[in-house]
Amino acid sequence: MKKFLSLFLGILILVSTASSCAKKVSNQVSNDNTSLNKSQLEVIKATNPEKLPQISKDRKDTLIVGTTAPNGTFNPIYSSSLYDSWVVSLIFDGLITNDAQGNPLPNVAEKWDISQDGKTYTFYIKKGIKFHDGKELTAEDVAFTFTAICDPSYDGPRTDAVMYLEGYEEYNKDKKNTVKEVKGIKVIDPYTIQFTLKEAQAPAIWNFGYGIMPKHYYAFEKGNIKKLKDLFLKPMGAGAYTLKNYKPGAEVVFEKNPNYWKGEPKIKTVVMKVTNANTVVQELTSGNVDIDGVGKPEMVEMIKNAGFFNIYSYPSNSYSYIGLNLRDERFSDKRVRQALMYGLDRKGFISAYYKGNAQVCNSPVSPVSWAYTDEINKYEYNIERANKLLDEAGWVKKEDGFRYKDGKKFTIHWMTYTGSKFVESLVAILKDNWRKLGIEVVPELMEFGTLVEKVYDKREFEMYNMAWSVGIDPDSSGIFSKAQNVPGGNNSVGWINEESEKLMNQGLVEFNKEKRKEIYKQWLKLANEELPYLFLAYTKDNVAVSCRVKGVNPSPYIDWTYDIHKVEIVDVK
Amino acid sequence: MRQYITRRLLEMIPVLLGISIMIFAIFQLAPGDPISAMVDPKTSAATKAKLREQLHLNEPIIVQYKYWIMDMLKGNWGESFYYKQPVTKVIHSFLWNSFYLSLASFILGALLSIPIGVLSATKQYSKFDYIFTVIALIGISMPSFFFGLLLIKWFAVDLKIFPVSGMTNPGSIASGFALFKEVMYHMALPLIVLTFGSLAGLMRYTRSSMLEVIRQDYIRTARAKGLREKVVIYKHALRNALIPVVTIFGMSLPGLFSGAIITEQIFNWPGIGPIELQAVNTRDYYLLMGINMMLAFLTLLGNLIADVTYAVVDPRIRLK
Repeated sequence: MKKFLSLFLGILILVSTASSCAKKVSNQVSNDNTSLNKSQLEVIKATNPEKLPQISKDRKDTLIVGTTAPNGTFNPIYSSSLYDSWVVSLIFDGLITNDAQGNPLPNVAEKWDISQDGKTYTFYIKKGIKFHDGKELTAEDVAFTFTAICDPSYDGPRTDAVMYLEGYEEYNKDKKNTVKEVKGIKVIDPYTIQFTLKEAQAPAIWNFGYGIMPKHYYAFEKGNIKKLKDLFLKPMGAGAYTLKNYKPGAEVVFEKNPNYWKGEPKIKTVVMKVTNANTVVQELTSGNVDIDGVGKPEMVEMIKNAGFFNIYSYPSNSYSYIGLNLRDERFSDKRVRQALMYGLDRKGFISAYYKGNAQVCNSPVSPVSWAYTDEINKYEYNIERANKLLDEAGWVKKEDGFRYKDGKKFTIHWMTYTGSKFVESLVAILKDNWRKLGIEVVPELMEFGTLVEKVYDKREFEMYNMAWSVGIDPDSSGIFSKAQNVPGGNNSVGWINEESEKLMNQGLVEFNKEKRKEIYKQWLKLANEELPYLFLAYTKDNVAVSCRVKGVNPSPYIDWTYDIHKVEIVDVK
Repeated sequence: MRQYITRRLLEMIPVLLGISIMIFAIFQLAPGDPISAMVDPKTSAATKAKLREQLHLNEPIIVQYKYWIMDMLKGNWGESFYYKQPVTKVIHSFLWNSFYLSLASFILGALLSIPIGVLSATKQYSKFDYIFTVIALIGISMPSFFFGLLLIKWFAVDLKIFPVSGMTNPGSIASGFALFKEVMYHMALPLIVLTFGSLAGLMRYTRSSMLEVIRQDYIRTARAKGLREKVVIYKHALRNALIPVVTIFGMSLPGLFSGAIITEQIFNWPGIGPIELQAVNTRDYYLLMGINMMLAFLTLLGNLIADVTYAVVDPRIRLK
């Protein structure tokens, strides 16, 4: 399941680069952790630090972090996996970063202004930031980075970050090479840059977090981005570390950038070593790896027993769900969707399958988000309620135990994917649960890529299940808006609701956080009532951090790469 | 002979062309494409459409094939959608790691299984024969993923003799002999898994081929004229018994480069096996084409080598 998430659902590249002005953050990081509540972060402290293996004690100046193999797209505008984004965030710094609560923080940009109409963003760049080669980072480099994404030959995954910029179409569609720059990207002076959007959008601030590339190093002629792509494995930014060695499929080795603008990193070498879920426990407990993610609850238990790891558990920014095709008149009836939700023992399934490593999901936003609300219907397992709703909807139970309407039996064909334990467990429970309501479920298993095509491109399905990784901003118009109700769009279930449309648009243009919160509260209540999806679970991430490592405090919006220059290796007695 | 080889090599061209059409069509006919795998709330349908257009994914299969084959003829294998790098570069970075492991396992396997096969045959139905037959069968039946984990538990975690995974020490900058030593040290466990699994095949082949040979008349003649048993077996019988084994060697050429998906995954050996699987899952057409065309070529080449060596070792065979 985890694998599918990372591979196919495209873990969003949250802006998770190093941090803001050094002074401000030093207190903040420790405070950050405590400011999160228990449902957002649980830390199990190491009980037996003296058990730390000799091999890790001897490794004084090297931090080893376990990872899934990155693809080698070490570039802020091309990286598409979470693991490549880790590499990128060690090497590159972006204009802004975020805190543990998911608020934007200054980074390369000391501060920024957003115009009254919400369309113009002005960033003021801190003076004296140097790239690895010693040249200063200026507004020209920022302009170059974002213009590169607009390039006609750009074929990476970041287009959505620039497509609302003024003049994007003109620059991108220009065949004759007459448009030399993007109108919406304006260098005011070497330390000031202005972006102008076609329409105001509150989440747009997150489009400016991508790492800044030095123009003098990456510059290419318009329409010929190949030159930039050839430099994937020779990345240069202004970040805390430089790339020393990359062995595909095996490891990425970094060396500290002694002239880092936020202060010299304390650890000389950082190694991202490829590990896999089968042996991660062995790697950690034998002392070969200092930090790694641990999936299953049994494995967390083993790491806990090893005694020398601090374990951080927090909800991953994702939720799993069942999608029903709302174009199907059986499912367009809200009562049927609610009945299916009441009639599924989600709590039972989650505790049986995840053993405490997940919680029930009732709305499409992460429990970590500031927009999350608890004041919604919990849809506790309730067969009577479900049966009543189905009766109301005109589905009559006949003597064979199944429900019929207009002479047609209630049979659902459920398309799902192979090779997943999650699916196998869900199939068993769901079939049995809904059978009790008088509904027959016929699962059809297929390979994931096939399922994706059927659901998103062809939209030929009755029911499917998948998961979403959600971003740092609660805006969900990328999934549920009318505009996404097209072949290939993300609103594959075809949820069209005027009220929802209105609220999502209000949320997009409202810049006041408190007011936004109110809007999203209403929207979440609506989504919880209307059920565009049958929500299933919020899973948890567990990260084990060796007790010899100080300064790594992962939480939902904070990776181990955050403030990496402050991380140190301490002696354990 | 030279003429024969030239002819066979020329014949490969249309065969490879045919193979390329077949596999191109098969991969393209599978539902989905590299872009449909990008399900992400931040990737709009418009962006996907733009990418499809840029990568020519909208065009009919035949046109896409034309693009690919024209580039291929110019020596350009295309760019991997997933890695955003030239296919040759991606293959190159993983292929040799797989090759070293497979070659080591192949050599070790041959060194072990041929003598065992010969001994099993000469001492047919003895305890030795039974014991090794059972061991070989265990080897071939044991799932490599289970055996691999078992070895990690015993040798890496409990005894701490070998590392858990990887090919070199983390952050290692060793080169030359030091690097060789480091790689061998990391290779030990995956090598045992791979060799143990492949032992049975070659051993049973050697055994049955040997059994067949020692029943021949000329072996009886050799014994009758009073030759020592050792000479009979190792000089007269073995050489003839190994002829079919040579064919198997030739056939295993593509296997040396195709990688071992499961073993490589368990030990995080940076080989091409898992990359290939990932390419299938992400519909990375050009990378798939690259890997499969390479394997197709090696299969044909392996067959040719088998045929040629056959002629060399077996005087009864004449190539025309």
